[in-house]
Formats: sequence, structure tokens, C-alpha cells
Amino acid sequence: MSNIHGKAYAMNAISPMKPWKTWIVRAVFFLMRYFPSATRNLVNLSFIHFARWVIVRRDAFPRLSAQLPKDNLKYDYLLFFSNFNGTWNQYIDAFSAVLSWGLNTIWHWSEKFPGAVPVTPLKNYITQGQFETDYYYTAYPHATTNDVKAAHRVQAAFDELAAAADKPADEFEKAYRRFLVRVQGDLGATGELPVGTE
Amino acid sequence: MPNQSGGVYGLTILSPIKQDPHLKISHSLAIRMYLQRLPQDRRSPFARVSSTHMARLVVMDDVVYVGSPACEEHLQAQYLVFESNFDGDLDTYLRQMVREAPKEVDAVWQHCDGYPGLADPGQFVRYMKRCQIETTFYFADVNDKTVQQTLRALQTQSAVAAFIEKNQGRPAAELQKAFLGVARALRNAPAPNPGNAIGREFADE
Repeated sequence: MSNIHGKAYAMNAISPMKPWKTWIVRAVFFLMRYFPSATRNLVNLSFIHFARWVIVRRDAFPRLSAQLPKDNLKYDYLLFFSNFNGTWNQYIDAFSAVLSWGLNTIWHWSEKFPGAVPVTPLKNYITQGQFETDYYYTAYPHATTNDVKAAHRVQAAFDELAAAADKPADEFEKAYRRFLVRVQGDLGATGELPVGTE
Repeated sequence: MPNQSGGVYGLTILSPIKQDPHLKISHSLAIRMYLQRLPQDRRSPFARVSSTHMARLVVMDDVVYVGSPACEEHLQAQYLVFESNFDGDLDTYLRQMVREAPKEVDAVWQHCDGYPGLADPGQFVRYMKRCQIETTFYFADVNDKTVQQTLRALQTQSAVAAFIEKNQGRPAAELQKAFLGVARALRNAPAPNPGNAIGREFADE
């Protein structure tokens, strides 16, 4: 299945919006950019490497030759691409349970969006608008978002210890013990996805 | 700049796919057949375009009809969606694609309308920019580390875990000597390959 590479899942979804509503969604995203607290829950959930929303105006699907007839669309479209860890069901469940306000604020303006809660109609709606990934690459397939953050914390602590490692042995040992306390929560091993979780 | 978050760029490209009803294998199917065989690991073309954190290629057949009372409507073409998350600026990245993965880029985009080929990299860059859709909102959880920094950190994390496990209870002088050894080995190690698992190569230092 190409939606999955290692521990990352590539999700693509599209939903139609009436053009006048597009401006509301643009305003929502504009505010989200300038108020980082709006994405605090997304950061706290810590299972999305990268995600993006892209509004394509009804007259803005690229057209590079005169041979291609012009689109005659009534709707603008909201595209959503996400790179997340875990299963599809876990992802939607978490979105519905923790980010329902954000979800409703963004997708309320899409045609026939049922709301983030309850989760079953939401899953049906997403399934309807989701399309499959044909090729998916990640540079660190066996690392989750949490693994990446933990690794950077270990790297920072390691670099500090290494920079002062030529002190007398007993002092080094004390510094090493402080290092152990600092990194002990960040040493989980990366590796293959457990069987049966795809 | 909505396409960027910190040092990471979120590129979204929609390239219209050629249509020819007389072909036995349509252009969109040819793309899908090619992508099905393309390696995803360190042999991936995106591993050579080494600033790529994550990338995907998707054939989008049409827009969606969500049911009555919404209107049913259709696109005039299928689109190849190229979504990439990479370090640095767009021009450098697109030129790196031409330089490092010309065979794969050509094999995929030759099926797209208006693709100019790769003989002139500047023309390819202009073509891709004509197909680019500005990202409306971009989220990158870790946006201040490059691919290489992340791969290094994962390598260090793995080496540290193995080091701690192996050196429990050692006298201070031996511990220090062993630590200096692993620090030196990590410093001199070649950069880990993108697309691979991060191993525990330094466990025995």
C-alpha cells in the first residue's frame, strides 16, 4: 500500500467549497498563521510530521496548453495533505476527539461536511474525498515525529557532554550521570512498524 | 510566506496529465505503473535529492462529488500531484531534481502536458512553477532541522542508547575513554543514507 512508508502515512483528501466561503477559510488560515496557539493541540498531539491545506480556485487548476479545454467548475476545492504516524483510524479518531473545534472551523465551509463529532459520519466523509498515494518517500521511514524530536534532544545533550568530555575522570562521570538523567526518556529505539498496525 | 515553515518548504504541484484516447495504456496509467516499481528506500530518487524530508506523487483522477444537493462536476484533465517537504529554496530544489534524478523526473513528467524536458533546467523550473499552487496553510512540526541534521541525530540517539547499555557500572576513567571513542566515531562517520533505517553501528566502539 503506497499510502504507507515505514511509520508514516500519506493522506490526500479533497472537498468542494462554494467560492464565497473560500474567503472565510482563507481568513481562518490567515489568523492561524499569526496566532501559533491555534495549532498548539496539533503540536501537542505530536504525530504529524508535515501537513498542509491548499485552496485551489475553480479557475486555477493549471492549464498549460490551448488544447486542454477550460474547466467549468462551480466550486473551489480544499486539498489536504498530511504525513502522520499511526493508522488512519487512530488519526481520524484523534482529530475528532482532540481537534474537533479546529476541524469544524476549517471544514465547516466544505459542502456537506457532517461535523467532527460523531466520528463515523466524519470518517465516511473523509473516505469519500480521499484519494490514494501512488508513490511515497520519507528520508527517515522508521522514525515517528516523537522519535525525531527525541533524537534532536539527545543530540543537543550529547554535543554538550562531548564538548566538555576532556575534564578529569571523576568530573566527567558526574557530568555523564546528569546526561543520563537528561536523556533517559528519549532513548526509545526506532525500527519497523509492529505487525498488524497498518 | 505560506509555502514555508521555518527552514522547510512545502511544495504543491499539480501537473495536468496528457490525454490520448488512442493509446492502449493511458498516460495516467503509465505514470502509475512506473511509480509502482520505483524504490522507496535509499535507492529512491528522492534520497539523491537529499534535502527531501518527505515527498509523494499522486495521480488525482478528478474532483469529488459529495452527493445531493451539491453539484456534480468534473475536471478536464487528470492531475499529477507532487507534494514535497524539503530544506531550502524552491529553485535550488528543482535544479537538484534535474541534476540528481533526471531519469525518474523525465519518466514521470513526460506524461504531463507542457513538460519541456530537461535539456534546459531553467525551462523545467519555470514549467514546475507554472504548475505550482500556493500552500494556504503549512504545518511542519520540526521546522528548524535539515534532513541531514535529523539523520545524524537519529544515528546519535541509537549510538547513545547502545553505549549506555554496554557501559553500565564501568569505572570513571574507562567510561570516559569509551565515551571519547564513540564521540570521535560519530564525528567521523559518513552521513547516514536518507531512506534507510538508522542502525546501531556504533554499539561496539
